[in-house]
Amino acid sequence: MQQQAVIDIADLGVSFERDGHRIVAFSGVSLKADAGRFVVLIGPSGCGKSTLLRAIADLLGCTEGKVRVFGDEPAQARKARRISFVFQDPTLLPWRTVTENVRLPIEVGNWRQLGRANRRAEELIGLVGLSGREAALPHELSGGQRQRVSIARALITQPDVLLMDEPFGALDEITRDRLNDELLRIWRETRTTIVFVTHSLSEAAFLGQSIVVMGTNPGRIVEQIDLDRRKPDNRIERTAADFFAITSELRAVLERDHGSVLRR
Amino acid sequence: MKVSLHWLWPLGGVASLLFLWWAVIVSFEVRPFIAPNPISVVKALWLNRTLLLSNLVPTAIEALSGFFLGNTIAVVLATVFIHSATLRRMYFPVAVIFNTIPIIALSPVLILVFGISIVSKIIIAAIICLFPTLVNMIRGFESVSVSELELMRVLSASRREVFLKLRLPRSMPFLFAALRIACTTSVIGAIVSEWIGTDIGIGVLIIQATFDYRTELLYAAIITSSALALAMFGTVALLEHLLIRWRTS
Repeated sequence: MQQQAVIDIADLGVSFERDGHRIVAFSGVSLKADAGRFVVLIGPSGCGKSTLLRAIADLLGCTEGKVRVFGDEPAQARKARRISFVFQDPTLLPWRTVTENVRLPIEVGNWRQLGRANRRAEELIGLVGLSGREAALPHELSGGQRQRVSIARALITQPDVLLMDEPFGALDEITRDRLNDELLRIWRETRTTIVFVTHSLSEAAFLGQSIVVMGTNPGRIVEQIDLDRRKPDNRIERTAADFFAITSELRAVLERDHGSVLRR
Repeated sequence: MKVSLHWLWPLGGVASLLFLWWAVIVSFEVRPFIAPNPISVVKALWLNRTLLLSNLVPTAIEALSGFFLGNTIAVVLATVFIHSATLRRMYFPVAVIFNTIPIIALSPVLILVFGISIVSKIIIAAIICLFPTLVNMIRGFESVSVSELELMRVLSASRREVFLKLRLPRSMPFLFAALRIACTTSVIGAIVSEWIGTDIGIGVLIIQATFDYRTELLYAAIITSSALALAMFGTVALLEHLLIRWRTS
């Protein structure tokens, strides 16, 4: 029996009106993600990768096609708290301490679980490596630490799907590398399905189990590269040679697409 | 110590201006009923302390009651306007127009309606505080970012939760900025209302002292009213310091 896809996107398109012009963010996008998979969306600015992520999270409506999360409408999955979102900007509430920020999703709506929330928040703060900073306010933390808090906050509802929109895009490369490592560790421990948007080739090659390459004019999927080696035990066994091969392939795909757009 | 020096600067500023005042009065031989020198004002403050205090009490009650009433109504109105675009479109312009009426012109109207009672004075003090707080609170409630609203949406937060967890705490710096303004304006409102019709209060004392050429008493009354506003201002600043520990990064 075939396993039901966690995320099932068929022929999806999003367009909107701006100054009387119809702007197509992307169209004809089909994508499937199985449970526990790490999917990376990569592409140049304007390819609609962030918009696609927002469509999955029910942050915006779709003009054509369909999105299903666990076979339901995205709004259903959102209300059932099966989806969490990590923004590029950590979006911590500056008047709340680290612990209070992490337990915010429980305070909103799930107040019955509030008793366990503090203990759970503490565990997650440990998981993202911020033990001892529970009482700190966001302005006392570095950019990388703030993003760790926002990841802990996303995990507190124990989501089945974690959507990440260039979460490390504003960080320096050293911090970004370290957080990529930790994200893989967290992914292995929680077995959450992750859809991760980036415009960094090396980040995509390092993280992705499936790498979905998107192109512009109009936004669409150019190619999907599946790296199934990771699948059996969710372990990273990627050598330097593999890493190089994947980045080269990604670069070639993007170049080819860019060339074909220019020729058109 | 750095902290004590901090306090010495404004004190030095006040002292130098008092000295200048004294020097001008003495060297130009200004007559006391035109402008008294600072020493005789301090004397008048002490000699008339019971008179000043007994007049300060009603003024303080009017100013403080007006302060609480006006700011409470402003916060409630801002909350309503933020949740209903229709009500906001209908009534916010009314508030703007109402605000253009000079408070001194409004006072007789209110006294005709409510009589020469404390109620009309509290209402005048409240009206004068209301508008700045209303405008500030609307801005404060709207000062949430797009990603903060998206976060609340992903969390499936209700409108009430968005208001209580996000908009209300976000607006606190705006509230305190408005309260600082209201501290001085509510005292102005109380004093102006006392000019129109009553027999007690700092406003009355100011008018009487002027008519009687008791200039030292006039100055003492002015200082007393300023001290009231200053005490309110200090309380608000202290509360803000204690309550708002966060900063936007």
